[in-house]
Amino acid sequence: MIRQQMNKLVLGALLVVFLIQPAAADLFKATEFTLSNGMRGVVVENHKAPIIKHMVWYQVGAVDETPEQFGLAHLLEHLMFRGTTRVENGEFNRIINELGAESNAFTGYDVTAYHQFADIKQLEALMALEADRMQNLNLTQQDFDSEQKIVFQERKQVVENNPAAAFNERFSMMLHGNSRYGRPIGGFDADIKGLTLAQAQQFYRQFYAPNNAILVLSGDIDAPTAQQLAEKYYGIVSPKNITRAEPDEKFTPFAADLTMALPNIQAPKIIDKYLLPNYRQLSGNVYAYAVLAEYLGGGETSALYRDLVLEQKVAVGVSVDFHFVTRGNSVFSVSMLPAEDISPVEARELLYAAVTKAMSGLTTEKLKQTQRKMTADLVYVNDNPEDAAYWIGTMLSNGFNLSDIENYAANIEKINLKDVQAAYRAVMQASKTSGTLLPENYQAPAPRQTVSNGGKNEQKTR
Amino acid sequence: MSRRHAKPKGFGYYFSRVVLLGLFLFGGKMYGPQLWEYYNKPPKLPIDEILAQSPLKDKKFASTVQIIATDKLKAYFMEEHSNPIVSVDFRFEHAGEANEPEDKGGITTILAEMLTAGAGKWNERQFKDLCAEHGIKIGFAASLDDFTGHLQFPRQYQQTAVALFQAVIKQPHFNDDYLQTVQQQMLMMQKLQQERPEKVLMNKYKEFIFAGHPYERNPLGTAESVSSITRNDLEDFRQQYLAQDNLIISIAGDLTTKEAATLLQNLFQNLPEKSMGEKLQPLDLTSDGTEYPIERKNAQAIAQFSAAGTFRNNVDFYPLYMANYIFGESGLNARLNKVIREDNGLTYGIYTYLSITDAAAQIRGGFSATPENFAAAKDLLYAEWRRLAQEGISQQELDAAKKSLLASYNLRFAAIDDIAAMLTMMQKFKLGADFLDKRNDYITEVSLLEVNAAAKKYFNNLPDIVYIGAITSEDKK
Repeated sequence: MIRQQMNKLVLGALLVVFLIQPAAADLFKATEFTLSNGMRGVVVENHKAPIIKHMVWYQVGAVDETPEQFGLAHLLEHLMFRGTTRVENGEFNRIINELGAESNAFTGYDVTAYHQFADIKQLEALMALEADRMQNLNLTQQDFDSEQKIVFQERKQVVENNPAAAFNERFSMMLHGNSRYGRPIGGFDADIKGLTLAQAQQFYRQFYAPNNAILVLSGDIDAPTAQQLAEKYYGIVSPKNITRAEPDEKFTPFAADLTMALPNIQAPKIIDKYLLPNYRQLSGNVYAYAVLAEYLGGGETSALYRDLVLEQKVAVGVSVDFHFVTRGNSVFSVSMLPAEDISPVEARELLYAAVTKAMSGLTTEKLKQTQRKMTADLVYVNDNPEDAAYWIGTMLSNGFNLSDIENYAANIEKINLKDVQAAYRAVMQASKTSGTLLPENYQAPAPRQTVSNGGKNEQKTR
Repeated sequence: MSRRHAKPKGFGYYFSRVVLLGLFLFGGKMYGPQLWEYYNKPPKLPIDEILAQSPLKDKKFASTVQIIATDKLKAYFMEEHSNPIVSVDFRFEHAGEANEPEDKGGITTILAEMLTAGAGKWNERQFKDLCAEHGIKIGFAASLDDFTGHLQFPRQYQQTAVALFQAVIKQPHFNDDYLQTVQQQMLMMQKLQQERPEKVLMNKYKEFIFAGHPYERNPLGTAESVSSITRNDLEDFRQQYLAQDNLIISIAGDLTTKEAATLLQNLFQNLPEKSMGEKLQPLDLTSDGTEYPIERKNAQAIAQFSAAGTFRNNVDFYPLYMANYIFGESGLNARLNKVIREDNGLTYGIYTYLSITDAAAQIRGGFSATPENFAAAKDLLYAEWRRLAQEGISQQELDAAKKSLLASYNLRFAAIDDIAAMLTMMQKFKLGADFLDKRNDYITEVSLLEVNAAAKKYFNNLPDIVYIGAITSEDKK
């Protein structure tokens, strides 16, 4: 597609380059397999140290909950540590500790993952434990009650103790509308308190099965042994008939504003998020948005940081991010922490003036520089075996193919100036939610007398 | 094989031993539903047998730590060729936040930012672009006691990395305009600290527990101190505190010993010989269960507690380490989490750890709980604290803890930068280049008697506790 868009001269030059350079190496050189019961597996060999990251990613998450189940996927993730017909409550944590393994789990909108990091000699025990709780979960009312309380405390600690939490949750609801992606993964207080043991058991029976899971092994193991062990422990678990609906995120285009003043907030913050189609609908161009985000606001060498923070000094921080590893809509976000003497209204004008300026100043050379920055760190991804496991697990369980990951560098490098400009136009036309978080009783400062360069004279984007 | 994982015996075994005995003692009474359930219950997962038959056997990471030296400097080095990357970790001792001149609070954090903001022939943009485009990472940070730094680079860009790093050491620009930006950011960070209850708590904790000592200060300084810092202050601090005699260096990765020695020679040139920094005198941190409540309205109250601990080379270190591991450092299996989280659901988590800085050896911990749960969680913490002092731990708990700590040994070799950082801490704590060979013996040799003596000694006094959000001014009214 992209090559077709180029003129013949450029195409010719590129072909020469392709001929004399060896094909870009696969990022992880991972091996894929599928077990007889439909469970998928991926192995990344990393023989530096005799250790292994063992992860099982279930293709189920908060989006699979019905409204009366909000928070259930996350609560069930907790309950998975509570015992099975073959491992009593408390024993799982005791055994894991004796194996010297680091163990945890997490729940997302689209996936739920369980994982351990351990010495390679413990792997079979970990696989046996994980395969056991894939099929034999055995919950008592007492375990459920304790874990429901813990999950409630988790929400208070991780979400509500952050003074911006109320803003973030409301912002997300405005951005995603009625979709499950607009509500917190773990549910609100009332959601958590309304859940029952019977619901957890039913959800477990419905979604936990080998054919709905992806095994990721990264570390000191060869692919044939890994597959053989996977077959031995996971291959004997019975598959289930599982139907999973595609996330329904239809929306009518909109532009919304949310301004909130909250206690304990000390300084204004602005954040704009744009809702875009999911990565399948965006096709290969998904990486153009990633490159665009990196060019504009990926760290302290980015265009916006240099303009707004270093030169104009109208912000102390600015960041642009593109979130696309999800089955739902992708989200392009722009956020800024204005300098003390800049009001949020002024900040937003300056921000978009700087965006416009950065886009008109984008050349092929600058684009290539951004792409080099994005691929330069890939040399480190095969160091810690945990990195490969998370990366591969996240992408595969959200529906990407292994080749999408292995070819990551090429996917970034093939993006050209036109792709990035098209991505930018699409973002600017997308539905947008503008958020402003203010301290209570906030008084906007008087406008600055002088601005160090002409940012303010630029045309406003929106 | 542990008793809990004993292989399930066959029906015949139980019939002969249990059922016949039962028939003899109780007549037909044992033929009830309980017995039926017993036989139909799936067998326990036989973890020990699974491991015994596994072809994946014990392997020890080949961890040879070499000492390399130039005429003025030495470093620990671990050769590791799996990936074409090199990691250098280093720290200037006694040059951290606690060593800042009192009216220049925040200077070490500012210095850390300023060192990579242009150096030698490169301005800030050129310097950071070169790093980003080649995967070269050069960074500095202030810790409580030391000024720390790291350098990481892909082997193929070693020349560029070394040139950039040399410029930082020899000739940082300390550009005034960039300094202004960093000061602006520091002032904002000071404000933002007030937004998060956990940050307010940590600052208050330092003020209460380290009162009168440099450790009590806010690491970000004050608005006045940050605003007063000039280019000359940075230059003075650099000359006075970043020297050869307080520098610890470690290198790990894709180099031969000879290449590592050359790298060492090239990286740290032109440093002054002597540093002004001095090690701070140890603090007496004996606790007596004092409570320091801070008023604030939070979703949850957050607590930070501590008692006196022991320094790294003290004979009590490993015994106390084991006691604390069982008490609060072994995750969901730790005593505190089992009682306060798993059994009672009062908190999302509670932890303890041994905190060791130049002047403070502590047992430290923290948890958070909604205000209505807070007192109950705190009481259970105190009850477990006293129980550990009075009753100690069991042989079974010690054996399990040893098993865990020996089994997790190899995990420390996951990432090359973590290996380099570990080599640095081995030097800082004077553990010796052969520490990794001896570490498992240190764990194995700890006796129950020693652990329980340490538990009695260090958990005798209740910890001091600082907490925020358990009470609000509204409650008081």
